[in-house]
Amino acid sequence: MNELIPLMVIVPLMAALLISAFSRFNTATKVFAFVVAICLPIIPIASNYGLHYFGGYAPMLDNVTSVMYHPAITYSFTFLQQIFIAMIGLLTFLVVFVYLTKYRKVSGPYLFLLFLGTAAVTAMLLTDDIFHMFVFFEILALAQVGIVAASSIDYSYEMALKYMVLGSIGSPIMLLGIGFLLALTGSVNVTDIAAAVHNGLVDATSPVFLMSLGLIFFGWLYASGLPPFHTIKSGIYSKAEPHGAALLQSFTVISMISIVLIMFRIYATLPIFEVLIVFFSILAMILGVSLALTQTDFRRMIGFLAVGELGFIGLGIGLGTNFSITAGLFQALNEIIITALLFIGFGAIVEATNEVDTRKLGGLLAYHPKVSIMLLIAGLAMAGVPPLSGFQSKLMLVQASLSCGFPEISILAIMVSIATFVVFVKTFYTMFLKPKPNDLDLEGKEVPRAMIFTMAILLIIVVLFGVYPDLVTSGISNFVGGIL
Amino acid sequence: MKLYDQIFNVVKQFRKLFSPGPVTNADVSGSITAEIFLIVSLVLAVILLRHVSVLLAGLATLVVAIVLITNIPLIPKFKIEQEDSLEKMLFYAVVTLSIIIAFLYWGGNLV
Amino acid sequence: MAQTQLAILLTSVALIVIGLYSAIFIDNIIKKIIGISFIEEGANLFIVAIGYKAGGVVPILMPGMDTSWFATNAAYPLPFGLVLTSIVIGASTLAVMLALVMVLYRRYGTLSTKVMLSDTAKQEEYNE
Repeated sequence: MNELIPLMVIVPLMAALLISAFSRFNTATKVFAFVVAICLPIIPIASNYGLHYFGGYAPMLDNVTSVMYHPAITYSFTFLQQIFIAMIGLLTFLVVFVYLTKYRKVSGPYLFLLFLGTAAVTAMLLTDDIFHMFVFFEILALAQVGIVAASSIDYSYEMALKYMVLGSIGSPIMLLGIGFLLALTGSVNVTDIAAAVHNGLVDATSPVFLMSLGLIFFGWLYASGLPPFHTIKSGIYSKAEPHGAALLQSFTVISMISIVLIMFRIYATLPIFEVLIVFFSILAMILGVSLALTQTDFRRMIGFLAVGELGFIGLGIGLGTNFSITAGLFQALNEIIITALLFIGFGAIVEATNEVDTRKLGGLLAYHPKVSIMLLIAGLAMAGVPPLSGFQSKLMLVQASLSCGFPEISILAIMVSIATFVVFVKTFYTMFLKPKPNDLDLEGKEVPRAMIFTMAILLIIVVLFGVYPDLVTSGISNFVGGIL
Repeated sequence: MKLYDQIFNVVKQFRKLFSPGPVTNADVSGSITAEIFLIVSLVLAVILLRHVSVLLAGLATLVVAIVLITNIPLIPKFKIEQEDSLEKMLFYAVVTLSIIIAFLYWGGNLV
Repeated sequence: MAQTQLAILLTSVALIVIGLYSAIFIDNIIKKIIGISFIEEGANLFIVAIGYKAGGVVPILMPGMDTSWFATNAAYPLPFGLVLTSIVIGASTLAVMLALVMVLYRRYGTLSTKVMLSDTAKQEEYNE
C-alpha cells in the first residue's frame, strides 16, 4: 500500500496538532497519544516500498535533452527508510509510554513537541527534495529546543537559548548552500541535482559547487553535533528529561544520516568531501571520548559519548565503499537503540536518587539490581563487546577501514572503543560497586516500572541485532548499492 | 626524575579540574587515561597524512608528539576551551565555518 | 540588468558578514539576536536574487498571454516560493529565541551574554 508513505509524516503531525489543541481533556489525550504512538512503528512495517509524488505530478521526460525532471516533492521509501522509521516509531512509542505513566496530568504541548520531532525526522528520511529536508530540519530544531526548555532541570532555558542561537547560524548557512545548488542546477530535487552533476551539466570543480559543499557541510555539522558543536549537543542532552534525551539523540542520529546521504549522492564525485567527513569524524571521536572520561555528571558523560559514537557513523560514510557505508548505517541504527537505553537507564537512577554527580553516588547495585545489570549490558554494547550489536557494526567498520588501506583509522576506532569501555568501567564502579556514601538516602525510592519495561525491550533488540546482524545489514547493503 | 615530577604535577593539577567537590581516585585515573588517549590518538591521526606525503607525515608526527608531550597536562586546557559558554561556542563555530570555506575555495581541487 | 542582481548579491554578502561579526563581538543578547537574524535575511535575499531575470515578468500566466513568450520572459518562480517558506521559519525561530530571552531576563535582570549564557558549571558554582 503506497498510500501509507505520506501517512508516516501526516499521522504524527496531525496527532501533534490535535493533542495540543485538545489537551484540556486529560484522559482522552492520554488514550489518543497512546493509540497514535502504537501506530507509528506499525505504519512503516505495513507499507510497501515505492515512491510517492505529492500532488500526483509524475516525473517528466524532456524530449530535447532526454533528461528526467521531478516536478513534485518526492518521497522514496525503501528498506533503509523502513527500518529507521520503524525504529524511531518504536522509540517514540516507548518514550510516550514512559511519559504517560510518569505524570497523572499530561502536558499537551510536550506531547506535541515529541510527535512533531518524530514527524520531522521521518520526513527528513523520506524526502528526495533538499529544500523540503531543510524545512523539516528547522522544524526539528524548534522541537528539540522545546523538549529541552520544557524540562524541569536547572539551566535548561539557558542551554535551549544557546542551542537556538547556534542553530540560527548553522541553518541559514545551510540554506545558503542550498541556494548555491539551486543557482547551479535550477532544481531542488536531489535526483535531478545528482543527475546534473554526474552528466557533466554542472562543473564539479567550479568554486560555486565547492562553496555549496562547504556551506551545506557546515549545516550538517550543526545538525549532527560534530565538532565544533559537540559541546552544545552534549549540553542539551544533559539538560533534557531522560526520556526526552533518549528521543533527542535519535533525532540527531537520523538527521545526521539523512543529510549525509543526500550530500553523498550529490558530492560523491569530489574526493575532498570524503576527506572532510573523515577529518571531522576523527575529531569527534577523540574529543567526545576524552571529554567523557573527565566528566563527573553522568548525563553529560553519556552526552559526550553519544557525540563520540557519531564519529563512527561519519567514518563509515566517509570511507565511501559499499561495505563501509553499510557498516556506518548499521552503527547508526545500533547507536539509536543503545544510547536511548543508556539515557533511560541513567534517567531511572536520577528518578531514584535525585543525584547526578557520580562522586555522591555508590552502592546502587544492591538497591536497583535490574537497572544496573541492564545498564552494564548497554555499556558493553556501546563499547563493542560480543555478542551485542555494537560489536557487529564496529567490527564491520574496522574491517572496512582495513580493506580501504587505512590501518591507522582501524587502530583509532579500536582505541576509541577501549576508551569507551574505560568510561563505563569507571562509571559503573563509582555508581554501583563503590560503598554507599553515608549521606545518600535510598530507602523507599523505586524505579518506575515503565522505565524497566522500556529498557528490557530495547535490550532485546540490542541482543537480537548482535546475534543476527544479517536481519538488517543485507537490506542496508542493497540500498547502498543503489546510491553508489 | 624530571618526567616523573612533571607527571606528578599533572595529577596535582587535576584537582582544579574537579573543584568544587572531592577528587576521587576513579576521576584522577580517568583523567590520566584521557590524557594518554588524547596524545596517542592525535599522533595516530597525524600519521594519516602519509597518504599525502610521507615526509610531511614524519615531520608533523614528530612536531605534534613533542608539542603535546611537553605541554602536559592537556586535559585542563582542552576542557577550558570546550566549556559551554555561548561566546566560546560561537567563536569556534564561526572559525570552523571560515576555515572550511577558505579551505574549499583555495584547496578544494587539490585533494 | 545585471547591476541590480550584483547589488543584491553584494548586499546579501554584507548582511551575512555583519551577522557573523555580531555573533562573536556583541555582548547584548538582543543585539546579538538581531545581528544573527541578518544571516537568515542575507540567505533569503541571495535566493531571491537567483530568481531575478532582467526584463522579466511576474510568473503568472494571465489569459491572453502567448505561452512561448511567457516561458522565455517569466522570472523563475521556485526561489520565491522557497523564500516565502524560509521567512516563515525564520520568524518562528526568532519568536522562540526572544521568548527564551524574556524568561532569562526576568531571572537575571541583565541582557549581557557573559552573565546569562556563560559556562553552566561556573554558574552553578557561583550560585551555590
